[in-house]
Amino acid sequence: MAKGTNQTFRKRSAILLVIILALGFGTAMFRLGYLQIFMADELQQKATAQQLTDTTLSAKRGTIYDRNREILAESATVWRVVLAPVYLETDEERRIVSRGLSEILDIDEETIFEKSKQSSYYVEIKRQIESDTRQEILDFCEKLSDEYDINSNSIYLLDNYKRYYYKNALASSVIGFTGSDDQGLSGIEYQYDELLTGTPGRLVTATNSIGTEMPFKYSQNIDAVDGSSLVLTIDSNIQAIVEKYLQEGIEDHEVANRAVSIVMNVNTGEVLAMASVGGFDLNDPYTLDDSILAEIAKLPEDKRLEAESAALQKTWRNKAVSDTYYPGSVFKMFTAAMALEEDLVSEESSFYCPGHYTVTGEVIHCHLRSGHGTQNFRDCIKNSCNPAFMQIGELLGAEKFWKYYQAFGFSERTGIDLPGEAEDIFFSEDGSMLPVNLATASFGQNFAVTPIQMATAVCAIANGGYIVQPHVVSQVLDSEGNVQSIVSNDAKRQAISSETAAHIADILEENAVSGSGSNGYVAGYRVAGKTGTTEKKIDENGDGIDDYIASFCGFAPAENAEVVCLVFFDTPTGAAYYGSQVAAPVFAKIMSEVLPYLEVATEYTDEEIESLDKTTGNYVGMTTDEAIGAIEEDGFTVTVMGYGEKVLAQVPHASMPIPQGGNVVVYTDEDSAQIQSTVPDFKGYSINDVNYLASLENLNVSITGATNSAMCYATSQSVAPGTLVSPGTVIKVTFTSGGISD
Amino acid sequence: MHQSFLHKKTAPDRAYLRSLSAQQSAGSAAAPRRKTDSRKKAPEKKKSGLLSVGLGLDMPFLLLVLALLTIGIIMMFSASYPTAYSKTGDSFYYLKRQLIFAGLGVAAMIACSYFNYRYLYRFAKIILGISFAVLIIVLFMPSETGIRRWIGVGSFTIQASEITKFCLIVFFAYWGTKYADKMQYMKYSFMPGMIIFGATAVLLLLEPHYSCIVIVFLLVLIMLFLSGMPLKYFGIIAVIAVVAFVIAFSTGLLGYAMDRMDGWGQALNYTPENKWATYQTRNSLYAIGSGGVWGLGLGQSRQKYLYLPEPQNDFVYAVVCEELGLIGAGVILVLFGLLVYRGIRISRAASDNFGKLLGCGLVAQVGLQVVLNVLVITDWLPNTGISFPFFSYGGSSLIMLLAQMGIVLSVSRTANIEKT
Repeated sequence: MAKGTNQTFRKRSAILLVIILALGFGTAMFRLGYLQIFMADELQQKATAQQLTDTTLSAKRGTIYDRNREILAESATVWRVVLAPVYLETDEERRIVSRGLSEILDIDEETIFEKSKQSSYYVEIKRQIESDTRQEILDFCEKLSDEYDINSNSIYLLDNYKRYYYKNALASSVIGFTGSDDQGLSGIEYQYDELLTGTPGRLVTATNSIGTEMPFKYSQNIDAVDGSSLVLTIDSNIQAIVEKYLQEGIEDHEVANRAVSIVMNVNTGEVLAMASVGGFDLNDPYTLDDSILAEIAKLPEDKRLEAESAALQKTWRNKAVSDTYYPGSVFKMFTAAMALEEDLVSEESSFYCPGHYTVTGEVIHCHLRSGHGTQNFRDCIKNSCNPAFMQIGELLGAEKFWKYYQAFGFSERTGIDLPGEAEDIFFSEDGSMLPVNLATASFGQNFAVTPIQMATAVCAIANGGYIVQPHVVSQVLDSEGNVQSIVSNDAKRQAISSETAAHIADILEENAVSGSGSNGYVAGYRVAGKTGTTEKKIDENGDGIDDYIASFCGFAPAENAEVVCLVFFDTPTGAAYYGSQVAAPVFAKIMSEVLPYLEVATEYTDEEIESLDKTTGNYVGMTTDEAIGAIEEDGFTVTVMGYGEKVLAQVPHASMPIPQGGNVVVYTDEDSAQIQSTVPDFKGYSINDVNYLASLENLNVSITGATNSAMCYATSQSVAPGTLVSPGTVIKVTFTSGGISD
Repeated sequence: MHQSFLHKKTAPDRAYLRSLSAQQSAGSAAAPRRKTDSRKKAPEKKKSGLLSVGLGLDMPFLLLVLALLTIGIIMMFSASYPTAYSKTGDSFYYLKRQLIFAGLGVAAMIACSYFNYRYLYRFAKIILGISFAVLIIVLFMPSETGIRRWIGVGSFTIQASEITKFCLIVFFAYWGTKYADKMQYMKYSFMPGMIIFGATAVLLLLEPHYSCIVIVFLLVLIMLFLSGMPLKYFGIIAVIAVVAFVIAFSTGLLGYAMDRMDGWGQALNYTPENKWATYQTRNSLYAIGSGGVWGLGLGQSRQKYLYLPEPQNDFVYAVVCEELGLIGAGVILVLFGLLVYRGIRISRAASDNFGKLLGCGLVAQVGLQVVLNVLVITDWLPNTGISFPFFSYGGSSLIMLLAQMGIVLSVSRTANIEKT
C-alpha cells in the first residue's frame, strides 16, 4: 500500500466521519429538535384532536305545557339501530342478522343484507325505534351470541330523543315543531330553542383510528343538562273551541286563505288562544293536505317542488303575528277614542253622511251608498259610517292621529315571544301623510297592522287604556319542574285615559247589541265589539273580484273586561264577505263557550231572563200523571207518548237546559220509544218561524246569535236537516242579523 | 474495458493475496491456545471457542451494536403491538419474529467476526456478480402490487437491495485496494464506479426501489471518496446526477416515486387530494411533535394506535421520538454516532487497505440509513422506504445488518490479533 494512498485514506475517512456525524446526524438532530421543541404544541394538539373522540350526550328537550299543565309537546327517548358489519365474517352470519333485523324492524331483508356486506363499523339501519322494538333488538342480540356464536357487537343501539305532540294540530302555528336534529324550527320551539334544548353533555374519550377506546386512561364526562320546560298562557280548551269555530267558518264561507283568532286576557296580555286555521299536524309537519297536494299535482312537474315548499310555508305561517292586514272598520274605535281623548267630539257631536265624502277632490264612498244622514257620535260607530270618521279624522289632524297610532302600539312590533312578527305598514316612517291618507286611515284603510297588534290595542280599550305585553309563555320550569322564572304581566304604558276607554267600551257594547256588531252578541254576557271588512286591493285567488278580509274584534264583559277576542277570515269566497256576516257570528260562538268556561259572571237583561233556558227535572219513574204535573210546574209543555202508566224515558234528559215553555216528551211504553221526528231545515227562517217548525215535530229549539236584531234569520243548526231524532231533542239554531254591510 | 478490470489479475492483486495467506499464518501464531486452526472453515465450527469469543473483538463496538439492537427490539415491540393485535390478534406477532431474526443475526454477527474478511477480497468479483444476479432474479418474482423487491428463501424472504448494498461495498473496497495507485485515472475510479452504479440503478428502477438507488449512489460515492478518487470527478458526478434527475423527472420515469413524493414536505398543509398520500408522514410528525422534549413515556405512544400506519417498519423511530422525547431520541442518535465513530476508528486501524475501506463502507451505510430515515419521517425527504437500522422490523435487513457488523468486528479482531 502506497504511503500517499494511506494518508489520503486517513484524511478522507476523517472527513467522512465528520460529514456523517456533523452534517448528517447534526441535520437529523436539528430537525428533531425543531419539531419536538418549537412545533411540539401544535403537533400535539393536532394529534390529540384526532385521538380524542368527542361524543355528545344529548340533553332531553324541555316539555311544553299549556296553562293547565296539560302536555302539548314532549320528548321521549327513542333508539337508532346501527349495524357494525365489520364483525360479521361470513355470508351465512350476514344472512342470519339481516333476516332477524328485517323481521323486527319491518325492513326488506335484501336491503339489510346488501348493507351488511360493507366493512364498516357504522351502518344505520333504522332511526327512532321505541322501547318495545328496542327490547326485541336486545333479545335478538343475545340470541345471536348464544345460538349462532355471532359477535353481538355487530348490532348496537344509540340513544336519541323524539318529539311528541299529543294534541296534533292544536295551536300548531304557536307551538311549532322541531327538525331532525331536535332543533326548533318554528313557533315556540324556535323562539325558546335555547332554553328548551338544554346543554348537551360531552364524553371525551381517547380512541384509536378505528374508534375503539385506547388502553390509556383519558376520559372526561360532562353531564348533559336537560332543557327547561315552558308553561304557556295558552289554554288548550279555549284553543280547541276557537279552532273548531274557525274551521266551521272557513267551511261555511269558503275562506281561501285561512283564518286567525286571538283570545287574550285584557289585563295581563296573556294569550289564551292563538289560532291560524287550517293548521297542520305537528307530528307530521311536512305532509300537506290532500286537497293542496291535488292542486300541486296539476302543476307542471318542474314547478311542483317549489309549489310544495310554498304551500308548506303557508301552512306553517302564524298569521296572527306574521300577516298584516288593513284593519278596516275595527280601527274606528281607535279613531273615536283619539277624538274623545282630545275632547274634539262628544256624545252630542253630529256628523252628516250623504253616502260619500270628498277629500282634496277625491270622492270616497260610504259602504251605505245612500248615506246614513245626520248621526250623533254614538251612531257613527254603530253605523260604522265612513264619511263621519273621515270628518273625525279631519278634526284630529295627522299629527295627533300619528301620536295615538304610536300610543296604541301600532307603529312597533308588540314584542310577543313568537318568531316572525311582522311590522305595520304605514304611509310614512314619521307619520306624515296626505289629507286623503288621513281620511282613509280614519276608517282603517290603506295601512296595515298585524292581528296581534290589533288585539293588543283592543285590550287597551277594554282595560282602561293600558297597553299590555302580549305573551304566550308564562313560566319557565327547570328540568326538575321547579319554576325558574315567571313572565311579567305588567302593562307597558297607558295610551288613553280610563274614562275614554270606558266610554268607547260602552258604545261598543251597544254596537254589539243593536249596531253593526250585533252578530257578535252573546246573551247573558255584556259583549262589546266592532266589525271590519277590508278590501285587500289585490286579487290573490284570481276570481276577478278583489279579495276581502272579514274581521271582528270585541271583548267581554264591556265593563271590567276579561277577554278580548279577534276573529279574522282571510278571503272568504262565499256569498257573504262582510265582517258582520262572516266573522261576527264566529266571534259570538267562540265567546258563548269561552266566557262560561272562564266562569265570567253572567248579567242578563230582563228580556233575556224571560227567554232564558230552564233545566229539565228527572221525570223518569213517576206515574204519567205525576210527570205531567211536575213538568208543567217546571214551566214546560209536555207531550206524552204511549199508553203506559209510568214514565220510562224522557227527552230531553234530566238536567238539560231548554227554553222556557219548551216541550218535554215522556215515553210510557216500549213501542212509543220507536217514534221519531225529522229535523226540519231552519235556515233562512225568523225566530218565530223556527219555533213553529220545531213545534210541528215536537222538537226543542235553543236559539243563539244576533237574536236582538229585528232582521235576524237562522244561519246554522246543530243537527243537520233530515236527521231522525227522538221527539223533544234540543236543536241549537244560530241566528244572524241581516242588513248590515260591514 | 469492462472485461479488463474484471479479469486481469494485476500485480497489487497478487501482492494482496500473498499477504492474505501470510496473515493467516500470523493469525494462527497469535492464537496458540486454539486447538484448531480452522478460521478458513465454516464459522460455526468455532463453538468450541466460545469462552474466548471476545478475543480481539472491539468490545465498545460490540456493546454499541448490542445496546442498539436491544433498544431497537424493545422500541419496535412498543411501536408494533397495537398494529400486530389489530392485524393478527397477537400483540407479540412482530416481537416474536424480530427476536428470532435478532437471534439469527447475532449468530451471524459472531460467525462473521470470526470469518476472515479478506476472503471477500478474493471473491469480490463473484460477489458483484451475485449482486446483479439477485437484482435480476428479483424481477421475476411474483408480485401482487407490481413492486418486486423480495426474493423468497424458504419461509423467509429477503430484500434484494440489502444484498446489493453489501456486495457493492465489498466490491468497491476490493477495487479501491487493488487500484489504490491508479485512482487518479478516470478509467480506474470514475468509470467503474459509474458503470456499476448505473447498471445497479437500472435494475433497481425496474423493481422499483428508488430510495435504494439513492443509498447505493451515496455508498458508491463514499467508497470512491475513501479510495482516493480525485475531487474533480465528484464535480462531474454531481453534474451528471443533476442531468439524470432532470431527465428522469421529465420523462416520467420517476412516476412511482413521484406518487410517493406527492405532498412531500407538505404533510401538515395537506389538501383533500393528497390527504392520504401524506397521511403516514403527517402522523409521523404528530408522533414526533407529541413527544416533545421528555416524551410521553415508554409504551405511551398514542399515534401507534393505528394512526401511524406500519409503525414497526420505517416509521419506528417516530414512535421512539413520541415515547422517549427529544432526549431519548437524541441518546439513540448519539449511540449511532458513537457506533459510526467507533466503526470508522476500527477501520482506520485495520491492518490492510481492504479492511479499512470495507469497515468504513459498512459503518457509513448504517450512519447513512439513520440520517436518511430521520429526514424521511420528519418530512424533509420523500417517503420512499428507508429502514431504521436495528429498530425497523424485518428479518433480512436485520440479519444482513448484524452480519455486516460482524464483518466490522472481524476487521477489528484481525487488526487486534495482528498487533499482539
